[in-house]
Amino acid sequence: MKKGMQRSTFRLGAIAVVALGLVTASLTAVSADTTPSFGAKCATEGANTGTSSTSLVCAADSKGVLKWAKVKLSSGGALPVPALHVSGGGSIEFHHWRAEDKVVLQSIIDKFQAANPGVKITQVIESSNDYTNLAYSQISANPKAAIFVTSRGGQFDQFYKGGLLKDISNQRYVKQNVIASALTPGIVGSAVYGVPYQSLFNDPVYNVSMFKAKGWTVPTNWTGLLAFCKTVKAAGIIPFAWPAATRGNAGQIMNSFLMNSAPDLATLTSRVQAIDTGKADVTQQWFVDIATKYKQMNDAGCFPANVTGYNDTVAPADFAAGKAAIYPTGTFGMSTVTGLNPAMKGNMKVFGMITVDTKPLYEGITNNTFILSVNAKSTSHDQAIANAFISYLCTAAAAQEYAVGTSQHVSILDVDYSANADLLNTSDIMGKKLLLAPRFLFNNVTTVRNPVEDALIAIGGGADITKTLADTAKTIKSNLGA
Amino acid sequence: MAAPAALLYGFLYLYPAVSNLLYSTQRWDGVTKPEFVGLHNFKYLIANDLTFHKIVGNNIRFSFIVVILQTLFSLLFAIFLVKNTKSNIFLRTVFFFPTILSSVSVGLIWTFLYNPNFGFINATLKSLGLNSLALNWLNDARFSLYSVAIAQIWFHTGQMVVIYLAGLQQIPQELYESAEVDGASRWHQFRYVTWPMALPTTAVVVAYTTIQTFRAFDLVYSMTQGGPMNSSDLIVTNIFNMAFGAYKFGYASAESIILIIFVLVITWIQRRTLRVKGGEK
Repeated sequence: MKKGMQRSTFRLGAIAVVALGLVTASLTAVSADTTPSFGAKCATEGANTGTSSTSLVCAADSKGVLKWAKVKLSSGGALPVPALHVSGGGSIEFHHWRAEDKVVLQSIIDKFQAANPGVKITQVIESSNDYTNLAYSQISANPKAAIFVTSRGGQFDQFYKGGLLKDISNQRYVKQNVIASALTPGIVGSAVYGVPYQSLFNDPVYNVSMFKAKGWTVPTNWTGLLAFCKTVKAAGIIPFAWPAATRGNAGQIMNSFLMNSAPDLATLTSRVQAIDTGKADVTQQWFVDIATKYKQMNDAGCFPANVTGYNDTVAPADFAAGKAAIYPTGTFGMSTVTGLNPAMKGNMKVFGMITVDTKPLYEGITNNTFILSVNAKSTSHDQAIANAFISYLCTAAAAQEYAVGTSQHVSILDVDYSANADLLNTSDIMGKKLLLAPRFLFNNVTTVRNPVEDALIAIGGGADITKTLADTAKTIKSNLGA
Repeated sequence: MAAPAALLYGFLYLYPAVSNLLYSTQRWDGVTKPEFVGLHNFKYLIANDLTFHKIVGNNIRFSFIVVILQTLFSLLFAIFLVKNTKSNIFLRTVFFFPTILSSVSVGLIWTFLYNPNFGFINATLKSLGLNSLALNWLNDARFSLYSVAIAQIWFHTGQMVVIYLAGLQQIPQELYESAEVDGASRWHQFRYVTWPMALPTTAVVVAYTTIQTFRAFDLVYSMTQGGPMNSSDLIVTNIFNMAFGAYKFGYASAESIILIIFVLVITWIQRRTLRVKGGEK
């Protein structure tokens, strides 16, 4: 009996040693080949290893050599701080547009309320369209709306101009819990007026198992992308389930087209702003080239039939059902897909859509939005509750609950995404050189961006480029002069 | 007794109307202090705003189609359903049914029907071998306005049938009996009895339908939001977009004043055309 036990212990030990050896060997191999290490050379400036306090970033040293360096991810540099507490109780409203996040946010609110007895936070949720149109007038007339969100760009600017955003620059959680680069959309001048909570990746999502089964690889340049469309279409599958009938989501791929359309970010920004302010129009060659690529995609069969009538109800359904290879909106669409087909969980990845044949300037798109702010017109006590709740949301534990529960990456440090397969699968794009979504450089959404996106959608659906852009230029000119 | 009513009217109607007039002379984004610009908003709308001109054209076409077809269909249905038989009473209910639905529900129903890929209309056309007629109804700028107009007609015809029924049932039966004795055919009875006697009702139906077409915000918004590329945009949807999308409240107010003038002028022309005075020809 004893001998038998000794033999089996010996066998187990031997297996463990061999396994350990294999793991160590493979880890060493991986480490030598791909794992970034502090001080080692790297290839792409701006690439990084994640969003924890120990992450590395590829940056040029004093001699101009690209090397992995430690990065100060938060603006304060020090370790994250715990949430603030409020005393005295009280009730406030939290206004936002994410109905799909209601349950997760309520769970976080419940924990916050338990930690702060007497405090009550009520979620007031509207559809994103209604929120865009009505939130300002509703919140400006309601001081109880002590915490609210805005989207990056025009809406945030409007709330700022209306004096509704309280300066939260000096809050420690802002300096130490939030990834500094993600704060940009919430900053005016040098003051922070909101915490952009979500880190989105407005890049196409693809069906991993389908790609593997068919032997397809993600296209890495424009020629490859058009060829990919032809191959996928020939296989009877929709290459890009582009929801062109739903402007809000159809407009996301404009980010990818803008991303590498200019020699540098400053040029891109000035070109977009020139259109946004009426100093240039959409008939300029730069924009014609972008529009032409939409047409090329349509000609290559990238989009489904009658794409301009293909909406954001059908597109994720087709993608979830395996009728489409790619759903070109962003990571925020993944929860809809898994809701439609739970088998898609862990079966999606994102890729940067490269629309040039030369070396791309950027490899993907990111966006920081869902900007949490404190209402400057609320009472100081309600502001204290709102501020404490934002600080709670900015702790790694709450942010992780939100991220895992909603399948959204967040702008908060030290969040572990491993509990959500989709987040983990899409985390690798965080290491690419990403551009903050340029679509949101347009501040005049109704008067300029909507007509611009309508034109690109029409062209993507087969409309004549010259006529469509000429008509759009006239519309924008009229709108801006009004 | 009149004082409370006057007070309520003043507060709920007069004050907003006067405020609207005041806003129309201002440049105001709803956030910063309003700036007085006189008649600039009106001048720009009339002389320079090509989008607004297009939208006015859309609205006139939309109104024309809806007024003609809705009036025609409601008169026809009313003539067929004028007798109080059991089947007619049932059919009146059926025709009136869409009117009790909310406009957003109607918009959603028709959006599904029109869907180019799985909608009932295209599926039917394709099953009949009419593939070339299976169009992209709501998302092709050439068809979107007309597609919404059809939904509007479906939505409101039942309501107009009821108005016509009330009018037709007032026509003395003796007139038809006399016409029959004189040997008048069904067409002649319609031409010389029904139509002249129904003219006051027609004036009401046409005026009411016209006003409806200039107020058709919810249906258009739920089906197309005025797109694609403003092809189905009406003055009301543009007022909403200008005010709550572009935050040009002064400009939107000016548009609404122009809309009121339009409706007044068109209604006046219609009443002149139908030569109705005091409800009689």
